[in-house]
Amino acid sequence: MDNLLHVFALAIRNIKRAPLPYLLTVLILSLGLGMFFSNATLYYWLNHDPLPHKSQTLFYPQINATLQPCDSCTEPLRVLSYQDVQKLSSSGIPSAQAAMFQSAGYARLPENTRQSPTPVALRITQRDFFTLFDVPFLHGERWADNSARRELILSKASAERFFGRTNVVGEALQLGNELYTITGVLDDWTMLPRLYDVANGLNSAQSADIYLPWETAYDLGIKSNTTTMSRDSRNYSDNFAVNGREGDFFQAQFWVQLDTADQVSAYRQFMQQLVQSEKEAGRHPRPEGNRLTNILDITEHFNARNRQLDAFALVSLLFLLVCLFNASHLSLNRYLASQYEFGLRRALGASRGQLQQLILADVAVNAAVALLLSLTVAMVAMALINHLLPATRNLTSWSPAMLFAMAATALAASYIVSLYPAIRASFGSLNRQLK
Amino acid sequence: MSLTLLFKSLLQRKVITILLLIQLMLTLALVSNSILLSQQAYTLSNQPTGLQLETTLAIELKPTDENLIVHPALGELIQRQLAELRKINGVRYAAFTNQTPLMFGGMNGDVFVPDHAETSSVDAVPYNYAEAGLFDALQMTLLHGRWLSAEDKNTDNVVLTEKLANRLFGQSHLALGQQISAGTVVGVVADMMYQRFASDQYYGLFFNRDLSRADYGYRLILQVESQAVAAVRQQINQSLRQVEPEIDIQHIVSLRQLHRDVFEQERGLAILLSVLSALMLLVAMISAYSHALFHGVQQQNEIGIKRALGASKRRILLEVLSESWLTTGIGVTLGLLASFLLQQQLATVISLPALPLWLPFAGALMLLFCVTAATWYPAAIATRVSPATATKAL
Repeated sequence: MDNLLHVFALAIRNIKRAPLPYLLTVLILSLGLGMFFSNATLYYWLNHDPLPHKSQTLFYPQINATLQPCDSCTEPLRVLSYQDVQKLSSSGIPSAQAAMFQSAGYARLPENTRQSPTPVALRITQRDFFTLFDVPFLHGERWADNSARRELILSKASAERFFGRTNVVGEALQLGNELYTITGVLDDWTMLPRLYDVANGLNSAQSADIYLPWETAYDLGIKSNTTTMSRDSRNYSDNFAVNGREGDFFQAQFWVQLDTADQVSAYRQFMQQLVQSEKEAGRHPRPEGNRLTNILDITEHFNARNRQLDAFALVSLLFLLVCLFNASHLSLNRYLASQYEFGLRRALGASRGQLQQLILADVAVNAAVALLLSLTVAMVAMALINHLLPATRNLTSWSPAMLFAMAATALAASYIVSLYPAIRASFGSLNRQLK
Repeated sequence: MSLTLLFKSLLQRKVITILLLIQLMLTLALVSNSILLSQQAYTLSNQPTGLQLETTLAIELKPTDENLIVHPALGELIQRQLAELRKINGVRYAAFTNQTPLMFGGMNGDVFVPDHAETSSVDAVPYNYAEAGLFDALQMTLLHGRWLSAEDKNTDNVVLTEKLANRLFGQSHLALGQQISAGTVVGVVADMMYQRFASDQYYGLFFNRDLSRADYGYRLILQVESQAVAAVRQQINQSLRQVEPEIDIQHIVSLRQLHRDVFEQERGLAILLSVLSALMLLVAMISAYSHALFHGVQQQNEIGIKRALGASKRRILLEVLSESWLTTGIGVTLGLLASFLLQQQLATVISLPALPLWLPFAGALMLLFCVTAATWYPAAIATRVSPATATKAL
C-alpha cells in the first residue's frame, strides 16, 4: 500500500515539476476523447439493440399489394393498408402481432370543458403492441382483445399531467369529442431507437402520450399524422370507417413476433401463398415484392440512417486518432526529458518492473484527469450537436455501463499514448542516459 | 541551409517525425473536406427560392373542437380568421392553404399527361388547395395564362410551376389548356421552392378548393410590410384567439426560419466539421509549438556552438523554422492524397461533390501558416541561447 502511495506521489510530483507539457498532453488527449465520446453516445443510442433478448424474433412484413397496376414497381410501400393488415394478421403463426400508426389529438378532463385541451401524441395500435416491445404497465392492463372500444392506455407522464397521480384506471378522459375510460397506465418506458417507427424517420422521437385501439381509430376517422398514401379515387375525408377499411389507403406499420426459425419460414410461406391467392383473385396486379425484415435491419431497409451522424462519426474517429498520435508525440518528449531521472533510478538499483510501476501510476493519473476533462468536452460537444441537429436531443444520456466503457477507453488511450515513450525511457542504454 | 542536414536531423527522431507526419496528413484531409462540406451547405442554402423569405409569415394551426375540423364550419372559420388577420396593421395579403412552401410533408400526389402516362408520370408533387388570394400572399409571378379566380372554385382547373410544366410538356407555355391527371392547366407561375424531398423542390400544383377536413391542420400565409414583421407576429396569436379560442396555434414562423430548418442537417454538419477542423488546427499548433520548444532545449548545445562559430540569430531562427516547414511540407503532401481518400469515404455515406484541387492546397497553406505561427516563439527562444552558456559543459 505504501509503495502504491509512493508511486502515485511520484507521478503527481512529476506533473508539478513540468506542468505545461503534461497539461498539453492531457488537453489534447481529452479533446480527442471528448469529441469521440459525444459522437459515440449519439451513435450508440441510434444503433444499439433496444430489445437484445427478443430483437431476433421481431419482423416487419410487407407485400406489394397496391391495386394500381405497375409492372416495374417491385418495391412494396413503406406503410400498409387496413386490408394488408387484415390479410397479414390471418396466419395464426406469430406469437404476437400488432398494427400501429402515430397520430395526434387534443385531450382534457371531461369536467374541464372551459379549459383549452392539451395536444397529445397518440399511438393507434392493437393489444399485442405492449407484448411485442415489452412495454411495462404500472396500473391496469392492456385491452382484452382487438375490437373497437372507448378505452385508452396512458403513459405515466400523461397520467401525472392530467390527474396529478398515476393510479387513474377507471377514470374518464376526453379525447377530441369522445369520452374514453382509462384501462391502463404504463410505467416509465422509452425505446431508443424507436425501431417500430423507423419507416417515418421517428427513431429518436419520444414515446406516445396515449394509446388508442386500432379499430376505434378507424371508426372515428383518426388518421396517421406521418406517412399516409392513397392509391385510388375514394374520398378519405368522408366516411373513413368504411373507406379507410376498404380502400387503398396506406398508413400502418405492422410487426409480428416469430420466435423460431420454423415460424419465420412458415410465415414467409404464408406470405407467398397469400400473394398467390390474391393474384388469382385479381387483387394483386403488381409483381410479388414480399419482404420480411428483422427489426435490427429495419433502419437500413428504410434507408433511415442519419447519414450526417455517420459522417461525423467517421471524422471524429479520425480526430481521436490524430489526438492519440499527437499526445503520444508530446508524451515521448516528456519521457525523453525525464530520461536522466529514469537512468539514475536504474543506476541506484531500481528494477525495470519498478520503473514500469511508476509509469503505470502516471498512466492512471493521466487517465483520471483525461476522463474528467473529456467528459466535460463531450458534454459541451453534445450540447452543440443538439443545438445544430435538434433530432438528436433525446440521445444524450449516459448509462453507468457507458460511463464505465468511457473510463476504460480513457485508461486504454492513456496507456497507448504512454506505452512507446515509457519503453524508450526505461529500456534505453543506462550509460547513455546517465551521460 | 542544407536540405540534407535537415533530413538527417528528422531521421534522428524517426518516431516523433512519423507521428507528426501522420497527424499533419490527417489534419489536412479533415480541413479540406470540412471546407468542402461547408461550401456545399452554403451553395444549397443559397439556391433561389422564388419566395419573399423575410416578409412572408406562415401560421400552422388546427381546431381543437372536432366540429370545426369539417367543411363548411372549417371554411367559415378560416374566412373569419383571415378577415381578422387582414385588420392587423402591416398585413398586406392573407390566404389559406393546405401546405406551406419549404415545409417537409404535406399532400403530394402523382401527376401525368393522360396520353403519355408511362413516360410523363411524376411522383410526389405537392398538391396545394388554396384560394385566389394565395397568389398575392406568396408574391407569385405569373408566366403564362392566368391565376385561379373565384370561377375556378372547386373545379379541376390547375396552375403549375414552370419546372413542372417543362417536365410535363417540354416547354412551359405549351402546358396551357392541356389536360393532366389532376385537371386542366390554366396557368403557369414562376418556380417556388416547395418540398425539398419531393421529386423536385420546385414542383408545385395549385387548385382553388375548399378544405373538406383539417385532420392535419391548415396554414394561413401572410404577406407583411417589411418593417412590420415583428409587430404583426406579436399580434397574430391574440387576433386568432379572438376569432375562435378552440384552436391550437402550432407555429408562427417566417419563411426565412423554415428555409433555415430545411437545410438544418447540412448546415449543422458543416458547422460541426468546421469546429472539429479548428480543433485540429489547434492541436497541430500545440504539437508544433511543443516539438520546437522541446528540441530547442535538446539542441541548446548545438545551437550554442553554431552561435559561437558565427551563426547569426536570423540564421538559427530560419534553421528551426525550416525544419518545421520541411515536416509540414512532407505532411501536407501526404495530406493531399489523404484528402481525396477521405472525400471518397465520406461520399459513400453522404452526398458530397468532388474535391476541387485548389481546396486541399488552400488547406495546406493554412496549415503551414498555423505551424509557422506556433513555431515562431520557440524558435525565437532558441536564438537567444548564449554561446558561452551553451558551450560551458563542453
